[in-house]
Amino acid sequence: MKKLLIAMALLAGAAPGAGYAQTLRIGMAAQDVGRLDPHFAVSTIDRVAVAWMFNGLVRFPPGSIDPAKIEPDLAERWESSADGKSWTFFLRRGVQFHGGFGELTADDVVFSLRRAATAASSAFSADFRAFETIEALDRYTVRIVLRENVPSLLGIVTNYSGGYIVSRRAATERAEGFARAPIGTGPFALERVTPNASAELVAHPQYFRGAPQIQRISYRFIPSDASRDLAFQNRELDINYGRADQTWVNRTRALPGVTVDVFEPGELTILNLDTTRPPFNDIRIRQALAHAVNRAEMVRWRGPDVSREGQSLVPRGYLGFTADNGLLPFDLARARALLTEAGHPNGITIRVVHTQLPEMLSGMQVIQQQLRRAGITLDLQVVEHATFHQQIRQNLSPLVYYASARFPVADIYLSQFFHGRARVGTPTAVTNFSHCDMADAQIDAARVSTNPAEQLRLWAEAQNLLVRAVCGVPVMETLLVFARRNNVDYGYPLTGSMSLGPLITEATRITP
Amino acid sequence: MIGFVARRLLTSIPTLLAVLTLVFIIVRIVPGDPAMVILGDQATPEAAAALRARLGLDAPIWLQYGRFIAAALTGNFGASMVTSRPIIDEVAAVLPHTIDLTLAAMVVGVVVGVPVGIWAALHRNGAIDVAARLLSLVGLSFPVFVSGIFLLLAFALHWRIFPVIGAAELNDIPDRLYKLVLPAITLGLVMAAYITRVTRSAMLACLSEDYIRTARAKGVPWRRVVWVHGLRNASLPIVTVVGLYVGILIGNSVLTEIVFNRPGLGKVIVGALNQRDYTMLQGLMVIYCFIIVVVNLITDLLYGVLDPRVQQA
Repeated sequence: MKKLLIAMALLAGAAPGAGYAQTLRIGMAAQDVGRLDPHFAVSTIDRVAVAWMFNGLVRFPPGSIDPAKIEPDLAERWESSADGKSWTFFLRRGVQFHGGFGELTADDVVFSLRRAATAASSAFSADFRAFETIEALDRYTVRIVLRENVPSLLGIVTNYSGGYIVSRRAATERAEGFARAPIGTGPFALERVTPNASAELVAHPQYFRGAPQIQRISYRFIPSDASRDLAFQNRELDINYGRADQTWVNRTRALPGVTVDVFEPGELTILNLDTTRPPFNDIRIRQALAHAVNRAEMVRWRGPDVSREGQSLVPRGYLGFTADNGLLPFDLARARALLTEAGHPNGITIRVVHTQLPEMLSGMQVIQQQLRRAGITLDLQVVEHATFHQQIRQNLSPLVYYASARFPVADIYLSQFFHGRARVGTPTAVTNFSHCDMADAQIDAARVSTNPAEQLRLWAEAQNLLVRAVCGVPVMETLLVFARRNNVDYGYPLTGSMSLGPLITEATRITP
Repeated sequence: MIGFVARRLLTSIPTLLAVLTLVFIIVRIVPGDPAMVILGDQATPEAAAALRARLGLDAPIWLQYGRFIAAALTGNFGASMVTSRPIIDEVAAVLPHTIDLTLAAMVVGVVVGVPVGIWAALHRNGAIDVAARLLSLVGLSFPVFVSGIFLLLAFALHWRIFPVIGAAELNDIPDRLYKLVLPAITLGLVMAAYITRVTRSAMLACLSEDYIRTARAKGVPWRRVVWVHGLRNASLPIVTVVGLYVGILIGNSVLTEIVFNRPGLGKVIVGALNQRDYTMLQGLMVIYCFIIVVVNLITDLLYGVLDPRVQQA
């Protein structure tokens, strides 16, 4: 019987573990891709893939998320005016789009940035609020004029979110179809998507940095963690999306010929407290909750290799982050005393809406146990993930457990989570669940400041105000984890990736 | 026969319309905003409103319903709200995999379940009967995500006979069959457990009938008594269970599809539900209902073949 089955395997030509030297097989924890139009690529699975297909005017060096190291990409150089409001980008010549869509010109750049700045055609239009004009000065020169200064113009036009450049002709001709047949200038082009199975990409031989060393990428959607791990173990995958979990990391590191990469950006988990409604309109209860959270224990639970303590309401490493902000330490006795002082000597029960997404639910359950020790009982209303997102934006939960990573400049995090304009339930809402607005002046002033030292001072002041008011309680930062076989060489040290997955470049290779 | 088929198809139309209306209402009652899913958590209300307008979600509900029914009647289901891929293409890409798995699981279920059920009935309350009942109970109790993982550990990781990733190219038939083996066994064994129990009880009922005693008394060989007189008459409940179960398999194979990394209709339905992809869900439900109607029709036709009195009725 076994011989018969092996014969079948050979007949099928797909013996398990058979390697395809020039095809890089990547397993992703997802059921399917969403939109591969870069201006709508919001989920992790989409972001990872579009980074292989598109370029920005500038880019983070592969493996880095340090804004100070941003380097030329489609633009070979740029100039800015003394007041920082006018930026001129000089494009590389001879950059070719995928599929014979011709040479990249200033028209493509103008079209792409205007498209990304328009609410109807982009999920990232809010990032372009300060843009006044985008115009082509000639075939290879683009000028951007700003209404007001922004903390990092280069950050907006980098290879991230709305900064990706698309082919004007392809986007216009294909319209809605562009999302399933996108055309960029990156090292890999989309060949096809098999729904619920994989996206197949092929090398772009005319890529301006040189033809990629890998011929194909097979990006496989495998939602079951157990099956994906088995496939990786069975050598059916070269790269595997990992779990931010110490046990998983230890187990995977023990596999022969395998490396586990843990990299930035860290996703900061914050307990956002609605300061306008009971019970958190009483700062003593907010302080009690802050004292009851044991960050060190959370890190021990998640794993020291993949997580670290949250130190502020901005993730560490972001430009403008400060740990000197008056964050309340873990102190159960103080938490109980504050509760008593606030009129709850027998403890308090708070009804909280939370998602059933396993990773977020397990984190919340640990928090629930920590708070219980201080007399704070969380009555968790566990709902499906899309419902969670809708309900927390309808002010249905006084406490919102939220984990996210953003462009690594303090302004983005502060503006989206703690600026009065971003309060949920308002026409300009983003994700301000605490309804705090006491640092608006500092956030606004820092955004337009042209003095870097002053900017840092203002961001630090904003964090101080928000942390002392306990608008939110930072819990921990969870890093990204991917495993790879040792014969996969990314071509750079992977310490960070704004696309939330390994960047596959022209230099990436599979060694025998 | 043609009249029978036509009557059955006509009676399906109100059922289909009722299901379509229910689906339309249910997907809109469930909380969750498709615009938020598509635009992500940094989207502004302005961007979400623009997207809703583009997707037609800002239209009055009766107009959305009218558009949906008109589209369903013309067979034009439009495109997925999330991926913007045509729904019919999505279904065409995964349906062959679903049909493969369903048919293969059915074959495993019938080939294992019917003989074991007969065998158990013939040895009522004996060791074989107890073992068959116990095994069928285990089969029913074991979730496929556990049995599937065990099979993968044994046949993929230990003996390295089959791959973990069960998605095959549609035009590569040997590869398709090869990658179907483990998922079909996983899903088929659950079905076999059901069929074993139904076959056993149906056979026990038949074997105690007068015509069986008469057949035995007049000297008909035992094998013929069992297979012709017994099984033929016990086959109606078995066919009913198989027919019902095939419908369930098409939708419920999602866990098998996830464990074995196979594309399939069940997985697409769950994905569309998670992403609040209204158009996709609606299109999928129309197609799913149509498949169920066809399967039920085939089951009814088989009744007629097995028992001509059904056709006459």
